[in-house]
Amino acid sequence: VKVEAIDYGDRRVYSVGAFNRGIASWLSRLPTVWVEGEITELRRQVRWASVFFTLKDPADGACLGVSMPRGQFDGLRLDLKDGDRVHVYGRPELFEARGEFRLRALSLERFGLGEHLAALERLKQKLAGEGLFAAERKRPLPFLPRRIGLVTGNDAAAKRDVLTTITARFPAANVLVGETYVQGPRAPGAIIETLRALCREDVDVIVLARGGGSFEDLLPFSDERLVRAVAACPVPVVTAVGHEQDTPLCDLAADARASTPSMAARLVVPDLAELLQRLDRGRAGLERGARRALERERRRLDRAHERLDRAPRLLLERGRARLEHAGGRLRALSPHATLERGYAIVRSEGAIVRSGGAVEPGQQVDVELAEGGFGARVEETR
Amino acid sequence: VTEEPTFEAAQKELEEIVHRLESGEAPLDEALRLWQRGEELYRLCKDRLDAAEGKIEELASRAEAAKP
Repeated sequence: VKVEAIDYGDRRVYSVGAFNRGIASWLSRLPTVWVEGEITELRRQVRWASVFFTLKDPADGACLGVSMPRGQFDGLRLDLKDGDRVHVYGRPELFEARGEFRLRALSLERFGLGEHLAALERLKQKLAGEGLFAAERKRPLPFLPRRIGLVTGNDAAAKRDVLTTITARFPAANVLVGETYVQGPRAPGAIIETLRALCREDVDVIVLARGGGSFEDLLPFSDERLVRAVAACPVPVVTAVGHEQDTPLCDLAADARASTPSMAARLVVPDLAELLQRLDRGRAGLERGARRALERERRRLDRAHERLDRAPRLLLERGRARLEHAGGRLRALSPHATLERGYAIVRSEGAIVRSGGAVEPGQQVDVELAEGGFGARVEETR
Repeated sequence: VTEEPTFEAAQKELEEIVHRLESGEAPLDEALRLWQRGEELYRLCKDRLDAAEGKIEELASRAEAAKP
């Protein structure tokens, strides 16, 4: 659209109509978007071509005029009342005759609790399909974190609960608190930023805590960006959001979910007193073990020593017995023993006589007996 | 100078000596030499055990003193 200006010397001036046309033309280039808000001041007249209402942001009260062709509006049969939450699909528009800006609605959907829950369910299915909530993604929490990050509202009871419990269990714990918005449209972005900031500070684990609140209050904790940020967080995240029955989607993406802020604190730090007790028991066991091992080695050594001491004497006795045995056998085998039984040895010129033919009658022989002996002469040979 | 054997090595050697002596295979000279070596090993092992016991007592009393 060409907008004509009038030149008054060095000043270019637009007529109101031209100005409005220009703005309207510029606005028409903006994209069609979805806008969420509460219906107020619904105005509908049979003689009007359009219905009008104001969309109000429940978070900060910001307002936006909306128009919608009446036939289309009636066709939806939504039976809307003031305060109903809706999603409007439309385009910004300038009503040129009056220079009034508004949203030209092309489509309108009620967005009550049911629709809200359905949308959340769809998001949940989508993220689950991507494996964001899978059990094998869950990381174990550190046993003794060097530094704990706590993301919470600035004056939240949740913050106090977490800090009190952590300090009671482990007085030396190092907690870095990141305060942020925990409610409203700015909360998801702010929480994500705080998570990242804490990660840069080298925390070992992060607790994301928020006390109870209405369904709407807890909505930021189901925000897709936040759920993804929790799943992608480089350190394990423990969530404690709302009450037991609330399950915001960030709970499903977290590495551990606590039912209350103080339960979250119990998950991230061990109980020092209990730890010391266990350590004590361990040490007592250690001492008992060492003493037992010592006793066992001592008994084993004593046994070996006893046997060692016994061994040479045993050896000696065995040797002596063997010697006695050999001596006995030696004595049994000596010729003397044979002579004792009445035998005699006959020698002729020193050689033992074994047959009658070895001597001649008249020959001199020596006879040896068990006791002494005598000389003799051969009478006859046979 | 040979390096001192570990407790386990000394214990093992001692038990091997006892076994050899008890089997009666060793000649007398060797048996006497083995016996002497066995006594040395026994002394060494016993000293080590006594030292270990002293250490346990010391650690236990120190741990006791450090209790909060």
